[in-house]
Amino acid sequence: MLVGIPLEQSNSAIKPKECATEMSEYIVTVAEKRCKKSFARVFGYFAPRLRSYALKQMGNEALAMELVQDTMSNVWQKAHLFNAEKGSPSTWIFTIARNIRFDMLRKLQNRKEDVCSDDLWPVLCEQTPDANETSLDEQITLEQIGFLFEALPVKQKAVIEAIYIDGKSQQEVADELSIPLGTVKSRTRLALQRLKGMLNSHDQVSS
Amino acid sequence: MIKFHPSLEQLSEFAEGSLSSVEAIMVSAHCDMCERCQQVVASETERLAEDVLDSFDARQSSEFERMLSSITQLPPSDKSDRPSRTTGSCEKFTIELDGRQFVLPRTLRRFVDKTGNWSSLVGRLWQAPVDLGFPGVANFIYMERGGSVPEHTHRGTEYTLVLDGEFRDGINAYDTGDFIYMDGDHTHAPKSEATKGCLVFSVVDQPLHFTSGLARLLNPFSHMFFR
Ligand SMILES: [Zn+2]
Repeated sequence: MLVGIPLEQSNSAIKPKECATEMSEYIVTVAEKRCKKSFARVFGYFAPRLRSYALKQMGNEALAMELVQDTMSNVWQKAHLFNAEKGSPSTWIFTIARNIRFDMLRKLQNRKEDVCSDDLWPVLCEQTPDANETSLDEQITLEQIGFLFEALPVKQKAVIEAIYIDGKSQQEVADELSIPLGTVKSRTRLALQRLKGMLNSHDQVSS
Repeated sequence: MIKFHPSLEQLSEFAEGSLSSVEAIMVSAHCDMCERCQQVVASETERLAEDVLDSFDARQSSEFERMLSSITQLPPSDKSDRPSRTTGSCEKFTIELDGRQFVLPRTLRRFVDKTGNWSSLVGRLWQAPVDLGFPGVANFIYMERGGSVPEHTHRGTEYTLVLDGEFRDGINAYDTGDFIYMDGDHTHAPKSEATKGCLVFSVVDQPLHFTSGLARLLNPFSHMFFR
């Protein structure tokens, strides 16, 4: 049984932005050490604020507290998914609350088949669709890359083909297709982005 | 090049989580393809978070204390709950028409299993119905080169997202990624001249209303068309 975690309710009017660094550090400590004290700090700051948001959204104390509890439970259990480089603690916690609220409202209306928040905002997926090299791992076969490549829009495909398969320079491609160099650059960028996006989200499919 | 984006208001309401399901999936799928709108949504989300979490009411401390101690007794989430990967299978994130595979934006992949068979319509047009699971009539529509939809207006609203290819509708030219919103004020006649045709995802909340020539004859049946 747990006793006496100090719950410090900051009455001060510190804005979320002003304590972002401090809160980030607490969340990281929670992730790394399961530190209850650090969590209590985060909780003390955000829980009352979330309740005020939840009350406005749900219009009912019990539902509001449920929303607060679910949100903060996720912060506790999934603290390792917080990434300070991608956003502030308040943004992360708000998006968790927004997602839970979105699903709660649909559940209340008994709309089981409805779209769920994970489909729209994959905030709490173990892998976020952020593009990085690690997801380009052994699971992706050449065949799949070819497959994704085939799915690129025609114009992007032509540019990528010329540069990455035929080994032409961007200027050569521009001359050959009689389009501005800027267009070649932007098509290349878009195509790579799209491929990356497809590969990353490919990892998330299933379930 | 994407030229047609959701309005700033739609993007902001998307960030807030207050759009209807139909609007939310259309905006979300557009953002999957549009970096500009992703950035707008990200900055709107940041702004909203700062705004929403600024105010609070300091009562309720005993209830919060109970909540805090019950939360900290929960185990950390199991990292192994990461989705298992289905190597080599692509059917989950693409749809197929006539041997061609189309990779769908992330948001629309939930509908792959809920998409019916392609059927051929008038004017070199194909459609596959999608069971959304919430109100709204959705279809993947494929216009072959030269394929066209007879000129029509909308009794309700129509959202269209261009997934692959280009088309024109007598008002504008649309490209992959474009987000198109139409209502009763708009009359248009979509037509694709792209060599490879054009795939779009469309959701309407009311049957279309055909306005020109012989197509007017379709009106009595328009509830069967694009259903
Ligand atoms: Zn956009």
